Amino acid sequence: MEIEGYHFPDDLYYDKEHCWCRVEGNVVVTGTTDFAQKMAGEIVYVQLPLIGKSVTQGKPCAALESGKWVGRIYAVVSGKVVEVNEELEDTPDSINGGPYEQGWIFKIEPSNLEEDLKNLMQGDDLVQFIKSEIIRVAAEKK
Amino acid sequence: MYLFDLGKLPGQQSMLIFHVLARMGVEALVIVSPKNPLVSIGYFQDAGREIDLSFCRENGISFMKREIGGGGTYLDENQVFYQLIWKRSNPRFPVEMSQIFEELSFPACETYRKFGIEASFRQENDIVTRKGKKIAGEGGGDIGDCMVLVGGILLDFDYETMSKVLKVPDEKFRDKVYKSMEENLTTMKRELGDIPPREEVVQTLVREYEKVIGRFESVALDNRIVERMKTLEKKFTSDRFLFKKTRKVPKGIKIKGGVEIRYGIHKAKGGLIKTVEELEQEKIKEIGISGDFQFYPKDDLSTMEVELRKTEFDQGKINNKIEQFYEEHRIQAPGVMPEDFTKAIVQSESEGPE
Repeated sequence: MEIEGYHFPDDLYYDKEHCWCRVEGNVVVTGTTDFAQKMAGEIVYVQLPLIGKSVTQGKPCAALESGKWVGRIYAVVSGKVVEVNEELEDTPDSINGGPYEQGWIFKIEPSNLEEDLKNLMQGDDLVQFIKSEIIRVAAEKK
Repeated sequence: MYLFDLGKLPGQQSMLIFHVLARMGVEALVIVSPKNPLVSIGYFQDAGREIDLSFCRENGISFMKREIGGGGTYLDENQVFYQLIWKRSNPRFPVEMSQIFEELSFPACETYRKFGIEASFRQENDIVTRKGKKIAGEGGGDIGDCMVLVGGILLDFDYETMSKVLKVPDEKFRDKVYKSMEENLTTMKRELGDIPPREEVVQTLVREYEKVIGRFESVALDNRIVERMKTLEKKFTSDRFLFKKTRKVPKGIKIKGGVEIRYGIHKAKGGLIKTVEELEQEKIKEIGISGDFQFYPKDDLSTMEVELRKTEFDQGKINNKIEQFYEEHRIQAPGVMPEDFTKAIVQSESEGPE
């Protein structure tokens, strides 16, 4: 779906840190949203988590830099990192080009998927949240 | 929100403080200068690639990595740092990166103006004078549950030491960095002829921040903060943290938004080609080419350097220019084709200094 110019695929789950996840069989693919990449601007560095690292839902586990700002990337679900998108180390701006496709960041083998998904947003909840974020950004610009 | 007006702190502590307060979730404005010189590199930088470690060690200059963005920089007591820390959930503060920098740089710009220097914010995150010279750089990042913006008012700046603390491929490059900084970076001393009293600058800065953020409550460092700084210092100065490798090799040294010095090297059949180029708005402003290759007529190498000025930093455009030059000047350079020069100039990012 499109929310005021920002793209959010319907089959993904989203958190309030502007990260997304997609369940693919036994693993969960994660990344950062179109809204987040637009707020950040051109991404120039990405630090990926180590494969095998245990991550906890809502906790930072990776980082990126855009415009002299270092932002954190949060684990959308808890589990173990099983794969990382190494291409981002050479071409971090792939996140800007396709945050849900070539810009995926890492994959997690989830440890508590069913419960974790309950804490994430889809549909109307997501629309409401993103709209409130857009209002905040617009208010700042005035 | 608290105000920590800390005067001068030992080099590393002056930068550790905002990391500690952010980890503790303390919203504050910190005003501080390093008592002794320090080199600070950005979170994604590798000290081994960015800093001339022997020069720093020989001259007693400490170095550390910070958890915010931007490049390597030399800090000393003639810089007044403002470090603003706020909780990510605080709705009073912007969320969009460009807004954060622009809105929260305003008090620093106003401070310069109060002292008679017309300064304004310019992407990418510099404060510049009316003549376009950089007078402050800023960086920021998410630390713990907080966001942090750090910038520095330049009372004065030691251009020479700054050019020496950076790791560069050769002295030619260092000289180019020094000259470009002299040309593109200014200070209060340069603009006003003298350094204004530090205390007046600090008071103005605090007043201007209060206009944007509201009244601060002045507080001093307590033991808890000092102890956490000591603990964190170990991490920030550890080899593991300082020398963490990033796959992206530095392309060069950024002097200010739109101005960069790059280094290129390429081994052609006819010899090694080295280039140092100053780029301005993605065009070659100046270029120096050297190496152990043969080039006839000899004087035409410097003519080619002049011809390359104002060329867009684009592989195709540079190659066309050099091919044309070879043809017009009947260049004889055994084992060195136009594309070899192009490779040296453009592919600098994959063959930068190690």
